[in-house]
Amino acid sequence: MNDWLGLHDFIYYRTREGANLLLEGTFLESSANDIAFFLYTLIVCLTTFGGILLSMFMILWIERKFYARVNDRRGATTALRSLWVGENGVTAGEWWNMIPYGLGKPIGSVNKWLNKVAGNSGHKHEMVNRVGNRSWYGVTIFPGFFQNVADGMKFLTKEHMVPSRADKVIFELAPFLVISSTIMILGMVPLASGIYGANPELSVLFAFAIFGIAPLGVFFAGWSSNNKYTLLGGIRSAAQLTAYEIPLLLSILGVCIMAGSFNFIEIIHFQHSSGVWLFFLMPLGAVLFLVSMIAEVERIPFDMPEAEAELVEGWWTEYGGMRFGLLFAAEYMRVYAASILFAHFFMGGWHAPFAGTIGSIPLLGDAWLAIPGIIWTLLKAWLIFTVVFVWARTALPRIRTDQILEFGWRMLLPLAVLQVALALVYRLYFFDASALSDTVAGGWSWDLTILGFTLPWGLPILTTAFWIGLFTILMKDEYIEENEERMYHIRTMTPAGTHTAGKE
Amino acid sequence: MAEMWITMGPQHPMTHGLWTLRVKVDGETVTDTEAELGYIHRGVEKICEARDFTQITPYCDRLCYVSAMTWAHSYVMAAEDLLEAEVPERAEYIRLMAAEVQRLASHLMWLGAFGPDIGNLTLMTWCLRDREMFLDLLQELGGSRMHYNYPRIGGVKRDIPIGWAGRLKAKVKLFEHRIKEYEMLLDESTIWLVRLQGVGYATAEDQLDAGVTGPNIRAAGVNTDVRWTNPYSVYDQVDWEPAVEKPTSVKGADCYDRYRVRMEEMRQSCRMLLDAIDKVPGGANTHYQPGDEMILTKAPTRAPEGATGFSTYECTRGVSNFYIQGGGDGRGKNPYRLSIRSPMFLTIPYVAKTMIGYKIADIPAIMGSFDPCIGETDR
Repeated sequence: MNDWLGLHDFIYYRTREGANLLLEGTFLESSANDIAFFLYTLIVCLTTFGGILLSMFMILWIERKFYARVNDRRGATTALRSLWVGENGVTAGEWWNMIPYGLGKPIGSVNKWLNKVAGNSGHKHEMVNRVGNRSWYGVTIFPGFFQNVADGMKFLTKEHMVPSRADKVIFELAPFLVISSTIMILGMVPLASGIYGANPELSVLFAFAIFGIAPLGVFFAGWSSNNKYTLLGGIRSAAQLTAYEIPLLLSILGVCIMAGSFNFIEIIHFQHSSGVWLFFLMPLGAVLFLVSMIAEVERIPFDMPEAEAELVEGWWTEYGGMRFGLLFAAEYMRVYAASILFAHFFMGGWHAPFAGTIGSIPLLGDAWLAIPGIIWTLLKAWLIFTVVFVWARTALPRIRTDQILEFGWRMLLPLAVLQVALALVYRLYFFDASALSDTVAGGWSWDLTILGFTLPWGLPILTTAFWIGLFTILMKDEYIEENEERMYHIRTMTPAGTHTAGKE
Repeated sequence: MAEMWITMGPQHPMTHGLWTLRVKVDGETVTDTEAELGYIHRGVEKICEARDFTQITPYCDRLCYVSAMTWAHSYVMAAEDLLEAEVPERAEYIRLMAAEVQRLASHLMWLGAFGPDIGNLTLMTWCLRDREMFLDLLQELGGSRMHYNYPRIGGVKRDIPIGWAGRLKAKVKLFEHRIKEYEMLLDESTIWLVRLQGVGYATAEDQLDAGVTGPNIRAAGVNTDVRWTNPYSVYDQVDWEPAVEKPTSVKGADCYDRYRVRMEEMRQSCRMLLDAIDKVPGGANTHYQPGDEMILTKAPTRAPEGATGFSTYECTRGVSNFYIQGGGDGRGKNPYRLSIRSPMFLTIPYVAKTMIGYKIADIPAIMGSFDPCIGETDR
């Protein structure tokens, strides 16, 4: 179902009207429609890119906040709580007062109440207080939100240095290859049904073809810097990205088979009109997509190419100034693109969850459906970024090069092939095309009929239950029942308490 | 494939200090290594020849900036041997507690630095969080957070403050829970296990030949804990046992064994502290004034010509020895010669050779698991 907030139609007709009105009677009258089309494309592209890049601040802000708080004194609970509750009764700036027309006042009073109930006061959490004693004075609009602007300014003022025996042309070319190809992905990715930069017929294929350019740039950067660390990083990166491109593309192929389309917008439409998000039909595919995406964007636990413990900063080492800043931004853009892609492929894109059920409640339903689709897209993307990318980074160590490749070729690739086969079976034998429905409530295409008995939404329910069950069984630690002690506990020479030191 | 030398250091995240590891790699595999030490040689042994015996303690604090208390304690023991000073039992207990708190802080620093080596920054911030607790305790004793200058020849500088024992107990008990948290984060993570298990094998024989001591050799099944074999201070009166790992492989101890030994050693330190705080003569919640004979006895300032003092001490990274020859300067006020044996000075060149055959990515894991400290290595 199309989202009600459609920029494209709106801008298309407005520019056309305006151009025709303005140019009427002039010598440009005959080409007014062409000029209007140019303007329309320009405005749409600028708004879409502007929206994506501005909302990328949120990604960086989430990561900084969440990462810092998980690393912090009280663990993840504080991480979530600290977004609104300050330490020791002091919040990080009363940002709600800066929201225009006093719209933030309710947030402020809720905040004060939370601070009273769940806040930290006195010497209850002494360690929290010490960290909480940070400098936040000054003008804060949204605490820490525009930190990256300051970082960018700092990068811009740095000198640009090229190592003395570097291959200068390639050295300069590589970051632009990485950055421009990354930005081009975002051009294909829709934010809502009417907000996108471009929408070719085979946009999925096109986006992932562009996605595959960046490894080349990485390899160029590693080779041209004339540094042994960057060389190793570049080669590691090339090996890793090639190994993970294949399962990534295969998991996407599964999505395309299910949806019967290579177009982002049609894939999202299909999820809504067939009644269920693809995540519940192919959890395996979703996990494969996420794992290979983490490897593709080179984040922990797959950040071998820039492993700072042994390779200093990997293939980035020799870049300074804004080139480093842009490479850094490009990594986050790729992460952001990955999160949005996951939201599109597996979480229904811009569609509100339970649009039919909640949407049928009188007042609340109207409000639920009035939320623009772009908000849902961004919320889902941010959620995925927080839950998967940031959490994995806080919790996991880094895996080794040979292990990473072995995992990619021997585990992910066969599973991805299995997922493609499963998708074919689902689409050919269980899909009910007649029940597709492009209404607010969506359709019922995945009912399972066995021996004349129909289980509504049977296929997604059974699939999800199967994978969750398998996951639970595999994750279970079989030693826990036998031994209350830790699995790998220490074996001391004598049992504790039976000896006194020095009296042997 | 062509081989190349990579120079890691003196400024490199892997080094944990200031030294250079030159690595010859064939692709990703290490084929040869070479350790270059001596970047922060300060000549402590020579400086000490021109200092009074009491003035030497701060220099020994600075030998290892992560575990200053144990090094100062080690020196003070040698000086007491030289000057034949008696130490009150209460002071021994306080020194023991200070040293064990320091051991906890030092091992936490090791674990915190080991985390980023493997790629987990969370571990570092968590460990530094808990290290703060113990640094606070040491700050109450010595007045400083890094170099305490706390042990004195014949006792300690000050008595433990009122309430210190309660804080120590609370923090140690909290920390025992925190160790479980660490194990939940690390031992249950498959990536942590595959990065450490089967990597960096070091057999007991090789380590004995190279002179490796401390937790590193205890991970290979050799109980060389001086606190156990030759108990000094009051280590034979408190309840504890050495952490010794029996490696499952004939190839010796891997990084995981060394990690486990240090985790267990932290548990043993906790156990020791909880026991020692109850056994302090005079009670843990009484405070004697500085110079009281309960905590400090009068020691001579001059050593006779030809007298020697020697100490063997279980530092956080292995056995440290001090050898002092008295009667320097013709007056007996300064040592004629002071010699320091640092465990890490023997360990680091050995570790560099154990890396051969592993991948580049294993270098930080192996090096970090041996807990290098360059301050004491270069002296």
